[in-house]
Amino acid sequence: MTRGRISLSNVEVRWSDRSILAVEDMQIRQGEFVGIIGTNGAGKTTFLKVCCGLIRPNRGTIKLDGRDLAELNAWRKANFRKHIGYIPQAAEYNTELPFTLRELVAMGRTSVKALLRPLNKEDYEIVDNWIERLGLSERRSQTFRSLSGGEQQKALIARAMAQDPEILMLDEPCSNLDFNWKYQITEIIEQLHRETKVTVVMVSHETSLLPSDCSRIVLLHEGKVLADGDVEEVFKSEVLERAYQCRIETLKIAGRRYTINKSRV
Amino acid sequence: MDSFFYLVMFAGVVAGASTGLLGVYIVGMRMPFIGVCISHSAMAGTIYSILLGVNPVWGAAVFSAFSSMSLAAIRPGRSRLDTNVALAILFNLMLGLAFLGIGLIQGSRSEVLGLLWGSLLFVRMSSVVTITILGLVFIVFAILFNKELKVLLFSRTIASATGVHESFVYCLFLALCGLILAVNLPLVGGLMIFSLITCPAAAAYQICTGYRSVIFAATIFGAISALVGFLVSFYLNLPTGACIVIVSALIFAASAIYRLLRHKRD
Repeated sequence: MTRGRISLSNVEVRWSDRSILAVEDMQIRQGEFVGIIGTNGAGKTTFLKVCCGLIRPNRGTIKLDGRDLAELNAWRKANFRKHIGYIPQAAEYNTELPFTLRELVAMGRTSVKALLRPLNKEDYEIVDNWIERLGLSERRSQTFRSLSGGEQQKALIARAMAQDPEILMLDEPCSNLDFNWKYQITEIIEQLHRETKVTVVMVSHETSLLPSDCSRIVLLHEGKVLADGDVEEVFKSEVLERAYQCRIETLKIAGRRYTINKSRV
Repeated sequence: MDSFFYLVMFAGVVAGASTGLLGVYIVGMRMPFIGVCISHSAMAGTIYSILLGVNPVWGAAVFSAFSSMSLAAIRPGRSRLDTNVALAILFNLMLGLAFLGIGLIQGSRSEVLGLLWGSLLFVRMSSVVTITILGLVFIVFAILFNKELKVLLFSRTIASATGVHESFVYCLFLALCGLILAVNLPLVGGLMIFSLITCPAAAAYQICTGYRSVIFAATIFGAISALVGFLVSFYLNLPTGACIVIVSALIFAASAIYRLLRHKRD
């Protein structure tokens, strides 16, 4: 049973001759909220995919609660990953299918139930509970494709939470949303983390979207970990400037961190 | 009409319904080329069976199973080969093998060329039984693995990352897909069976607003395409496959027009 610990040791993912991710040693503890930031192509999405076993590294080991994913066959690996809630970027799911919001959220119960076992009343109670908690009750019979971008993101979070996850992995959950929705979504994630103590690994381009609960930041640059530490440690101008290659000033407003490109000011 | 043709029509309706249902998943997973690839594999298998003098269904099943399993080996996000590129490579290989087989056949090639277009003349009592059984097996599969298939349709990446037995269900699906296409090949023809997979499902996705209604509509559209195509082919003495394809394309066109009109009205 997964408990929410992830450990990476000597991991490297290569594409042809290029190393796209290299992590020597990293431990993500149970209940931790880790923010992954970095420039485009820094390896953020690859990092998430490696953590949940979607990408097999060329070398190194990834352990979920002490179990090496590479040692498990496909069947046991699937059983092991059933408490990973994963929200990928929009390009990785099909928004055009006529699934209702309730059907979509119910997909979260699929891996929890054994094969050949249909969802029962209890499963749908869990599904309806998450729909209600995320304020989507009025939309539950609407198709996923008819929802706004923010509502779709809420529905995906409800789907992941219906899975009763111990690890929640989010790949830029706020991309393509307006600023109001961005903050609503991050507040929901923050609240869920506080209430459920689930381990959260969240990739974000915008540092201001990492909630105040995010106690640890990993800064990736060209596939390598440039900084890994608490917010104060990583959100220093000189650290960020090494990754973003520009003059940066960091501001703290209402517990959130903002970065300003001073080269253009 | 001979009483045997009622049986053949029944097989046609089951074939249309099962390929229509199959299409819901193939079109929904945005991999319509799978149908082309596996049907051409079945066609190549049938040609080599004729060359070797064995039951064509076995050859078709072996070749389509090979293609299905090769495609199943490509994992989303893990393989550096895109599924659609792999499909194109396999398709070309199978087409090449099929035409090589046709070239190697001595004497009359009419039976083999008939496989490209499909014909009622290829239908035997055994194929009627096989088509019906496989159609029912696929319906049972779709019911039993409904919750997993839904996640696969939405996102294979999410399915894989979150512990759904995605590879097991996907392999089963592709294997059944290969078998259904292999047994339906003589009726509809290798070049056109693809249309019976895509058109009914695409038409259903055009007009339906729910997942269940897509499944029912695609199955019914597939059955209607096969039935009407058969009747037109029988009474006008035209190639069966071509008639089925044209009917299924007309159903798609009607659905697209209906959707357009509904959108304008709304």
